[in-house]
Amino acid sequence: MQLSTFEALAMLSAVLGILILGTTLLRTNLSFYRFHTLAIVALTVWIGHITKEAHLYIVAAAVLLVKVLFIPSFLGWVMKKAEVGSDKQAFIAAPLSMHLGAIMLGVSYLLSSRIPGLEGVHQEGSHLGSTAAMSILFTGVLLMLTRRAALSQILGFLVIENGIYLFAVTQTHGMPMLVEMGLLLEVLVGVMISGLLLFNIKKSFEHIDVSQLTDLKD
Amino acid sequence: MSIETNTGEILKNSGTFLASLIILPPLTIGILRKTKARFQNRIGAPLLQPFFDLAKLLQKNETVSEHASWLFRIAPCINLTVMLLLSLLIPWTSLTAIPHGIISADLFLIIYLLGLARFFTVLAALDTGSAFGGFGASREVTLALLVEPAVMLCLACLGVRAGTSDLSQVFSYEATRLTGQYGLWFLAGCGLFLSSLVELSRMPADDPTTHLELTMVHEAMILENSAANLALAEIGHYIKVALLLGLSWQCFMHCLPSHLLSDWTARAIASTGGIISLALFIALIESLAVKLRWTKLPEFIAYAVAMAIFSYLIALSV
Repeated sequence: MQLSTFEALAMLSAVLGILILGTTLLRTNLSFYRFHTLAIVALTVWIGHITKEAHLYIVAAAVLLVKVLFIPSFLGWVMKKAEVGSDKQAFIAAPLSMHLGAIMLGVSYLLSSRIPGLEGVHQEGSHLGSTAAMSILFTGVLLMLTRRAALSQILGFLVIENGIYLFAVTQTHGMPMLVEMGLLLEVLVGVMISGLLLFNIKKSFEHIDVSQLTDLKD
Repeated sequence: MSIETNTGEILKNSGTFLASLIILPPLTIGILRKTKARFQNRIGAPLLQPFFDLAKLLQKNETVSEHASWLFRIAPCINLTVMLLLSLLIPWTSLTAIPHGIISADLFLIIYLLGLARFFTVLAALDTGSAFGGFGASREVTLALLVEPAVMLCLACLGVRAGTSDLSQVFSYEATRLTGQYGLWFLAGCGLFLSSLVELSRMPADDPTTHLELTMVHEAMILENSAANLALAEIGHYIKVALLLGLSWQCFMHCLPSHLLSDWTARAIASTGGIISLALFIALIESLAVKLRWTKLPEFIAYAVAMAIFSYLIALSV
C-alpha cells in the first residue's frame, strides 16, 4: 500500500504533534505546535482540492492566520512576559511521554479501523485520517495530564482542539463555515483569556504549576 | 543473482566505488568545516585540508605513552579495518562494489561491526590511563547504549518490510516490497540521521571543535594518539561519517520519485550530492544550535527512538 498525499499529510500532522511531547522546553514546544498545525492547514487545503469544497480554503486560511501565526506568537510573548522557559517537573519524563504518544498512535490505528473514511478522499478501506485525528487527541490529553506548567495545559488544549477539528474535516465534507469560524473565535478568545490568567497566576503564586493551585493561600 | 554480470560493469562499479571511498570522506569533512567557517565570517581552511592534515600526520614521529600497551597502537588499525569492511557492506552509495549474493550484508552484522570498532577505540582510550580518555570512553559507551536501539529498530523495520535482513537487498533499486513506502523510508531516514549525529559525535551530542577536554566525547578518546596512529584514527572516523550519512541519505533517496533515479549516473550523482548536502545541513545545525547539556542528551536521543517507533508502527500496519 502506498500512502496517498492525504494520508501522508495526516500522518505528518500526527507525528509532529507527538514530537511536541518530547521536550519540556516551551519554546520548542511552540514551534513544533506551529509545524503541526501547518500540516493540518495543508491537509485542509488538500481535502478542499479533492472534494471541491471552496469554503475549506477559507477555513484553512483562517486557521493559518489564527493558529499558526497568531496563537504561537501570543503564547511566546506571554512566556517572555511571565518569564517561564521550561516546564520544570513533568509527571512523566518527556522522552517517556513521547514514546507513550507513539504507542498511542498504534492504539488509535487499531481503534479507528471501524470508522469508515470519507468517500472519495480515502483510498478503499483506509482510515488513516481518523487514526491521525485520534492520535492527536491522545497527544493533547497526554500533554495536559503529564505537564504541570499552565502554558503546557493551554498547549494541550490547543492540540486536543486540533484533533477534533481534524476529525471533523476528515470524516465530513467540513463543518459549515459558520461553525468553523465560531470554533476558531472561541479558541482564540480561550487562549487569550488563559494567557492573561497565566499572568495573574504568575503574579499571585510566583509559579505557574497547576498541580499546586489547589493549595490554599492567604 | 549470479556473477554473470559483465566484467565491464563490475570494473565501472568498483572503480567508482574506490574513488568515492578515497575522496568522499575527507572531502565531506572539508566541506563541513569550510561551511562552518563561512557561517562564522571566517575564510576557513581549504576544502582539501583534511587530506593535507593526514599527509602531515603520516610524516611525523610518533610519541607513545610509556604506560600504553600494544593495544593502544593496534586499535586504530583495527578501527580502520572494520570501517573499510563496513564500507563494503553498508549500502552507503547507490552502487554496490560487490555483486549481489556474494556477501550477505546482514544488518545485525553491520551494527555489531560498528560496535566492535567502538569497543577497540574505547579500549585504546582506557589503555593509556589518562583521565580524559576514561571520561571520553565512558561517555561514548553511554551514548552508544542509548543510540543503538534506535539504529537497530530503524534498519530492522526496513528489513521486516522487505522480508530480508540483507541490507544490500533492502536498499537495492530494484522493485521490492519497499518500493513506494515513502513514509517508512522517510521516518527511518530521520531516525538514522538523528542517531548518526550522536554516533559521529557531532553537535547536539558533542562539539568536535571544543578546546575543553571536560566536554569532549570523541576527541577525548583520541587525545593520546599522535602521528600515524592519529592519522589512522582520523581516517577511520572520516569514513564512518561518510558511511552513516550515506546510509541515512539512501533512505531519503528512496523517497524520491523512482523515475528520477532510473539510470546509474543519476543515482551516483544523487548519492554523492546527498552526502554533501547532509554535511552542509550538519554545518547549519552546528552554526545555529549549541551543544546540549549532558543530562539533556537522552531527550535528544529519544527523538531518534521515537522515529524508530513510528517506522515500526508503519512496518507493522502496512
